[in-house]
Amino acid sequence: MNPTVKTRIKRFTPLQRIFHLFLMLTFLIQGATGLARMFIETSWGKNLSYVFGGYEAARSIHIYVGIIMLCGLAIHIIYLLFKVNWRNFPSSLYGPDSLLFSPKDVKDFFQHVAWFFGIKKAPHFDRWGYWEKFDYWAVFWGMIILGGTGLLLTWQLAASRIMPGWGLNVALWIHRIEAILAMAHVFLIHFFVGHLRRQNFPMDRAMFEGSVNLDDARHERPAWIARLEQSGELDGVLVSEAMTAQRVTYYVIGFAAVAVGLYLLIGALINVRYISW
Amino acid sequence: MDRSRPLKLWLAGVLFLGIMLLSSITFAQEEVASAIRRYKAYEASTGYYEEYEVRPRHQRPLIGVPNIREGIFPYSPTIAKVRSRTHLADSHQGIRFYAGRQCGDCHPAAALDIHTTRANLTCRQCHGDEPIASINFYWSPLNPIRRHAYVCAKCHEGANASYAAYVVHAPNPALAKTFDEFPVLAWAFWIMVVIAVGTFVLFLPHTILWGVRELFVKKKTKEKKTIEPDSKNAD
Repeated sequence: MNPTVKTRIKRFTPLQRIFHLFLMLTFLIQGATGLARMFIETSWGKNLSYVFGGYEAARSIHIYVGIIMLCGLAIHIIYLLFKVNWRNFPSSLYGPDSLLFSPKDVKDFFQHVAWFFGIKKAPHFDRWGYWEKFDYWAVFWGMIILGGTGLLLTWQLAASRIMPGWGLNVALWIHRIEAILAMAHVFLIHFFVGHLRRQNFPMDRAMFEGSVNLDDARHERPAWIARLEQSGELDGVLVSEAMTAQRVTYYVIGFAAVAVGLYLLIGALINVRYISW
Repeated sequence: MDRSRPLKLWLAGVLFLGIMLLSSITFAQEEVASAIRRYKAYEASTGYYEEYEVRPRHQRPLIGVPNIREGIFPYSPTIAKVRSRTHLADSHQGIRFYAGRQCGDCHPAAALDIHTTRANLTCRQCHGDEPIASINFYWSPLNPIRRHAYVCAKCHEGANASYAAYVVHAPNPALAKTFDEFPVLAWAFWIMVVIAVGTFVLFLPHTILWGVRELFVKKKTKEKKTIEPDSKNAD
């Protein structure tokens, strides 16, 4: 393949790819350390905790990585503040490049579902599909809920000065259910969409390589490509494919993440009946 | 006249007042062990006593709460469900074959909290040795007025009274009765469950249908690069 031919369209900036890599690594660590503690009554949980140095060490890592995640969230919010087009604020928030939900997303969702059954044509997605916006905001709300309750549970004594101690019972359950929701959503739905969909099989490299195949984008996101062609910006965002070594690295990282996620998901499902809540 | 006599009288008075005002744990528990003085002890301390405690001694095995009676011999492990023993110095006083039983025999759910299952605590590390007092018995180490200092702080240094309000033996939040026992926990649990289940009810079928539908899309080849979006989406 000729590396100088620009067959791909730029979709993510290097910083956005770093954010995703950061989130991927920290999320998997949090999932593994959290499940190691939750399943410590089982041999699967014990073995998982040994990877991190045991039950107590898994907690320490969980706390430190959680704090690092919250710092990442803060940096991301600062990044967003710089990315917002303040001159056209707030109308700039509702443009086609925005990740905020719009009425078109609701329409796209129902049209997409209708397409599943062959009732309607596939919707003309723009840069972000409704499922991608949902994924983005799910991380946002998830980190706020998990981070908030996690801080309360980490500094229990300080937390009990600003709320009754029984609030920790409530915080623990919210933390658990939100974590289970987040892990199950990522390991089942996000991984399926990113890897097993025929369009993306065996892996959608966009989040690692930063670009997607132009033909694929034209097929799945025609509104985005049409908009870029109409404004004459398309040529400016075309890039060439990454080198083979880079692509191999992307696949290794991506498949490793899937392997870890499936190991956690399957292990948790098998052992869930043996733990006390 | 003995010059030290006023001092002795004063000391005796202080001692008398001390005895009157400050009871001791041992003293209180001895009273409970006595069938003669036990009722007065409760009336003097909390005003609370169980029904069987004000009945003649021969009725004691048939303890229970009004209008609730289980079986011919309600004085069995299952009667724990209908007894209120929240203010007793010896919360297990009178239970048959008590010496041969373990905590989990009658309190199976209480042995499944995360303090027990994860931190490997035993019941006695918090509840103390025999006789195990009810947590609301005035002198119990687990009485809320001193629980944080006497029990929680053994592991959680600096625990305060608010911290000790953490419910170690929290009820199962999924059960309907938890709405009465711990409503905030029950509501928080069910709201989170609705969010989680709602997410999967929406997105799991959506994802499966999407995956299946794409199997029926004609995948274009690299050579066919100029097909119009509409015609591709139509399939």
